[in-house]
This record gives sequence, C-alpha cells and structure tokens, in this order.
Amino acid sequence: MDKIKRKCWLTFESGRQNEPCLWKTATKFPDVSFDIRQASVQKDIGVMAVLFTGKPDRVEEALRYLVELGVKVDPVEGGSLVAG
Amino acid sequence: MSFVHSLQCKECGTQYPIEPRTICDNDFGPVEVAYDYEAMRGKVTRASIESGPRSLWRYRDLLPIEGEPRVGLRSGMTPLIKADNLAKELGVRELYVKDDSANYPTFSYKDRVVAVALTKALEFGFDTVGCASTGNLAHSVAAHAAAAGLRSFVMIPHDLEEGKVVGSLVFGPRMVKIKGNYDDVNRLCSQIADKYNWAIVNVNLRPFYTEGAKTHGFEIGEQLGWRLPRHTVVPVAGGTLLPKVYKAYQELITLGLVDDNEPRVYAAQAQGCNPVVDAIERGLNLFKPQKPHTIAKSIAIGNPADGYYVVNDVNQSGGYGASASDGEILDAVKLLARTEGIFTEPAGGTTLACAMKLIESGRIPRDETICVCITGNGLKTVEVMQDQFAQSPVIDAKLAEFDKIVQQIAEVPSGGSPRPPVTA
Repeated sequence: MDKIKRKCWLTFESGRQNEPCLWKTATKFPDVSFDIRQASVQKDIGVMAVLFTGKPDRVEEALRYLVELGVKVDPVEGGSLVAG
Repeated sequence: MSFVHSLQCKECGTQYPIEPRTICDNDFGPVEVAYDYEAMRGKVTRASIESGPRSLWRYRDLLPIEGEPRVGLRSGMTPLIKADNLAKELGVRELYVKDDSANYPTFSYKDRVVAVALTKALEFGFDTVGCASTGNLAHSVAAHAAAAGLRSFVMIPHDLEEGKVVGSLVFGPRMVKIKGNYDDVNRLCSQIADKYNWAIVNVNLRPFYTEGAKTHGFEIGEQLGWRLPRHTVVPVAGGTLLPKVYKAYQELITLGLVDDNEPRVYAAQAQGCNPVVDAIERGLNLFKPQKPHTIAKSIAIGNPADGYYVVNDVNQSGGYGASASDGEILDAVKLLARTEGIFTEPAGGTTLACAMKLIESGRIPRDETICVCITGNGLKTVEVMQDQFAQSPVIDAKLAEFDKIVQQIAEVPSGGSPRPPVTA
C-alpha cells in the first residue's frame, strides 16, 4: 500500500501541552513519521504544524489516538478529517 | 498592468507563483499576495485612484487581478459617515462610521472579498464557486455568481437566521445546511475544495479573497481626505478584515498617499465567542478555540483562520480588544439606529458596543479620531430585534383615534416619539 501524507494542526489545551502526547503516539506508531514544521507553546495552549507520513490506515489510527489523548487535530487543508 | 509580485508565506517568506494556493509547503503557514511597491511609486497616486470607477475597483492596482475586473463592478465605495450624534452620545470629539451595511449588492462587507475572489476564480478558469458561510458570505457568493454566470454552492450552519437563508436562495445557488457550527462547515469545505476542484472562496482562494477586504481600509483613508483615523475598531470573525484593514493602512503609508499617524486597530467580538480578544487580554499570541454561543451569528467563529494574525496586528499597532454581551450588542444596535439612522446586524452592534467599552476604559482617547467599522445590515436579522420594542397600537382608520395616540405619546414620551432638537 502506498504511503500518504497528512498536514495537520495539533492544538494542545487544558494541560495537554505538558504531556508527551506526541512521544506516546510516536512510540505506539513507529511506522508513522512525524515531521514538525512549526510549533508554538504558551502558558496554557500549544499549537504545532505536523506532516504525518505512513500507510493510510496507520496514519488515520495515529491521528485518532492523538484525539483520544485530548489533542485537537485539524487538517491544514483538505484531505484529512479527524474530529477534535 | 499588474503590480502583483507573488504569493508569499507570512511565516517564512517563501515565494510561490500566483495560483490557487493557501499554505506554504515548508511550514504550512498561510500565503499572502505580495506586491511590487517600488514599481507602484509615481504610478499609483491619489489622482490615479480618484480617477478610477466609483467602486472598490478604483484600487485595482493594489488588488491581485491580472486582467479587467469582472465581478462586483458596483461594490464598495460605501458611505463613511461623520457620526456627530453618536459622538455626542459617547462623549468623543471625532467619530466616523464606515457603513458597509450599504454595500452592493448584498449589504455586507463580503461584497468586497467576493468581487475579488470571483474575478480571480474566472481568471483561474473555475466554473463552480462556493463558500463556507455564516450567512453574509453566502448571500454575496450567490449573488455575484449569478451575475457572473458561475455555478455556486453555499454551505451554511443549519441553524442560521431565516432571513440569512432566504437572502441566499433567491439568487439560485445550491445550498447545503450542515449540522454543526461554522467551524464544522469550514472544515468540510476544505475537503470539498480538495475533492471537487471548486473555487471555495474562503478556502482555496483565501489569499485573493482576503485582499478584497483591504478596500474597506483604502476607502476609509480616501474618504477621510487622505488621512487615517487614529483608532479603528473592527469586528473579528474569521479574522480576515482586521489584518487587511491594517495592511491597507500600511500600504497607503508606504505609497505616501497618507501620513503615518501610527494608526491603531482594535478587535471587537461577542462575549459568547471571543477567542481572539481573550488572547489579547491575556497577553498571548495564541488563542484557544471556543464553541460559539451568541446572537451575533455572523461573527460566531470559534476557531478563526486568521485569528493569530489579528492578535499580531492588534499588538503591533498598539491597539487592544473588547467583547460585548448579547444585551450590550442589542443596545448598541438600537443606539446606532437611534442616533445615526443606521440599522446594523448584531455584528455591527458588537463593534459599537466594544468601541464604547474601549472608550470608557480609556484605551481609546476621547479627543482623537475614531472609526467604527460596520460590516452588515440589520434588515437581514430582524428576528433578534423583535422582542426589543413595545407593540405598536392598532386603531380604526379614524382621526379621533389617532388623536388619542398622539395625546398618549405627548403624556408618556416613548422611543417612537419625535426627538427634541439637539442643542449644542
């Protein structure tokens, strides 16, 4: 199966910016790459632009896992939709 | 001749050719139209602008089109009103209302952005256009598309005011109501643009669409006699207008068309949806998305696409932000109507209510030039005002009965009685 790329904004709120959500996801999905293009973290919110690459089902699983961890996931542009 | 240089990432400055692109490949930052200001010098002048059409297209040299304007040929050049009655009420020296409730053809500032976006859509060769909308944008896209012979799809939240729905349907677009709020609609439209290769004006044509909003700021500068207000209060929804008004002011200054009086811009939001103002008040650059809950539905966007840049520009200019409760919004709608004869929608009430708060708190000095940006027409949202007034009397068609009404009014002055003359 061909790999896909998903450009996403991740928003970390309500203390989530102090938790290693991305590390947890990277550990659980070692076959999905996380290319961080931009990030900004402030007192009670963090925002990160990430390019996810991997097999389609694994990328979608990884994004869903991030949502389960309390991270808001938004597509940077069309093609990806994971409700936050 | 076009002075457009390229699309440029607002974060890292990477340049791209003019194409339907919204983000930078490197850092996913938004791209913006960049111009060759050096080439404009001596060519774009007060005289060249004043000799242009009496529409927003008099600023075409500062807009991202290549050929002739093709859409919205009568949009823009809305009144800038010296609001002396309102100024007196607010205790300020010099107050102006930029009144886009009178914009053509659909009575909101959206006629500006859509005129540019659809002209660009035609240049790119799109045959179908659309939008994610809280109502006003849907009206404008549907109307302009009808006139331009383009097929249109408008996507709106399912619970919009009925006036906003009918105001689109009359132009014959395909309307789809989405279960969810504006942010859900916008998210879906991002996918629609990607899958169907349509021109969704505020999604894949966003860099061009937003440039149209500059004309609101250009007009303020020109109509003030080529000078800028010191303080401009702008409503914030998706965050298009405020950064573009500020950009317009900076472009007028760069080209030497106005003096640099260090203009300040201020963000106005409803308390039920104030992510940007919340960030400004807390001294943060990042805003926390919110679930909107306000009567000001046209600005009820909890996750504004350009919110980050609103915060940036407000802070850079030395401005600030304020938010208003639903009650304060309705009171401000009535105040603007009572003092200046302008009926705006709740978004306009929000802007005025916030301007009043900024004046009261001393953020905006009472003795400097103030401009309040009114972006939509109250006749589209009469539902929210219906409970605001006493029932009007019903009488038989007899003069004696009318005389009784006049007698009652004379005894108990009401909002409907003639105003006494204003004395200095």
